[in-house]
Amino acid sequence: MALNFGDAFVNLMPKLMSSLLVVLQITALAFILAFVLGFLIALGRLSSKKALNAILLVIVEFIRGTPLLVQCFYIYFVFPALFKLMGMSISISAVTAGILGFGLNYACYMSEVIRSAILAVDHGQVEAGLALGFKKSHVMLRFVIPPAVRNSIPVFGNYLITMIKDTSILASISVAEMLLVTKNYAAKTFQTIEAYTLLALLYLIISLPLSQVVRILEKKLNHAKR
Amino acid sequence: MEEQVVFEIKNLKKNFGELQVLRDINMEIRKGEVVCIIGPSGSGKSTFLRCLNLLETATDGQILYEGADITAPKFAAHEYRRKVGMVFQRFNLFLNKSVMKNITVAPMALNKVEKEAAEEEALELLSKVGLKSFAGAYPETLSGGQQQRVAIARALAMHPDVLLFDEPTSALDPELVGDVLEVMRNIAASGMTMIVVTHEMQFAREVSDRVIFMADGYVAEEGTPDGIFTRPKNPRTKEFLARVLKEEEE
Ligand SMILES: Nc1ncnc2c1ncn2[C@@H]1O[C@H](COP(=O)(O)OP(=O)(O)OP(=O)(O)O)[C@@H](O)[C@H]1O
Ligand SMILES: [Mg+2]
Repeated sequence: MALNFGDAFVNLMPKLMSSLLVVLQITALAFILAFVLGFLIALGRLSSKKALNAILLVIVEFIRGTPLLVQCFYIYFVFPALFKLMGMSISISAVTAGILGFGLNYACYMSEVIRSAILAVDHGQVEAGLALGFKKSHVMLRFVIPPAVRNSIPVFGNYLITMIKDTSILASISVAEMLLVTKNYAAKTFQTIEAYTLLALLYLIISLPLSQVVRILEKKLNHAKR
Repeated sequence: MEEQVVFEIKNLKKNFGELQVLRDINMEIRKGEVVCIIGPSGSGKSTFLRCLNLLETATDGQILYEGADITAPKFAAHEYRRKVGMVFQRFNLFLNKSVMKNITVAPMALNKVEKEAAEEEALELLSKVGLKSFAGAYPETLSGGQQQRVAIARALAMHPDVLLFDEPTSALDPELVGDVLEVMRNIAASGMTMIVVTHEMQFAREVSDRVIFMADGYVAEEGTPDGIFTRPKNPRTKEFLARVLKEEEE
């Protein structure tokens, strides 16, 4: 059997490109969701309200303690079933389930990053801001959150890259992402080697430059911090 | 002629859990006075200063600022602090902001000073503290003594009525102390009301109008610099001075 990369490329690539678009959409929305939620969770965990802190801690530990794929299955299959039990009919598309699943899951990890970055900001700067006459909330907004976010950017960048790659698990809930498209193509044409090799290369082409960008950002930030 | 009372402190107490750090402090600070607070480590000097600008909440007692009870619940601490500047032992500059930004951020945000005017004044303040050419620098590139002088300029930019200093020179290498003390001397000479916690006995002696010796959360003795340094009455003051003056000689 001769390998036919040319053929696979011509036939599979357009499909991969349109599914890449789906992946990028899911990633973008999930990442925004994760950032916003992660921020709120971090602020809640840092607040002096003990009950809020405890509830959030349980949620974070629960989500971090179960696999992402299981969470996506849960949202996709179990939520509609639960609503049905309650007499409501709700349908969640696979893409929506993926966005919610990834958003929630990554929010938990990102909240820990943000929380520790906020805690790492020297408390002396908080006191300096207060002593100048800024309100507590303004001190947070002006002097704590900006350096905390800045210092977290490389970690967020790495999460973004991981997220793009992780979306391949959404093949299992029938999202037309790249793995599923490749699998279907390979099953139909038997060009297994070509198809999966192309897929792997495509992932590499996406993630390598992004990793490079993250590395440069990291260097820049370290440099700016002096 | 009696000068106006700025601070009136009545039966101030502060506990950290079981630990009584301030036991019963009574004091008056008058406008234009330079008061130095000395005393052994752990006697509550920093805690007292931090109570004055509400970084710590008093456990009991009252602090009146120009007649208003700043320890009252719901007191607007942030507005009050604009009039009472604080200089910290560890400078506490905003590390991700330039020297210029460190000085202008509060006047621009809180006193609604225009950027141009704020920067102009910042440059004046910087030249007062001998750092005119450092406006664009970042704190971490400066020596401790330079950082502390920026911190003083930052506090002055708010035009405070009172300045609190918590051991402003004790985190500095000995050769950098002089410049900071020089700046503080000039501020004192300008008539600013200052409360200075310090281990610099020479400074306390030369610059202050009054010296307060604290021990174990009390004001153990107070008086003129001359009185405290040459004729201390309290045995604890005597012992403390004998110890630090001997250390200074070494
Ligand atoms: N936030 C805090 N929580 C618990 N204990 C504290 C706190 N801050 C200070 N203390 C304790 O209160 C006591 C007085 O501390 P403070 O810092 O006011 O002393 P100080 O006179 O400034 O000493 P030094 O000369 O070493 O700076 C010390 O025993 C200290 O350990
Ligand atoms: Mg102290």
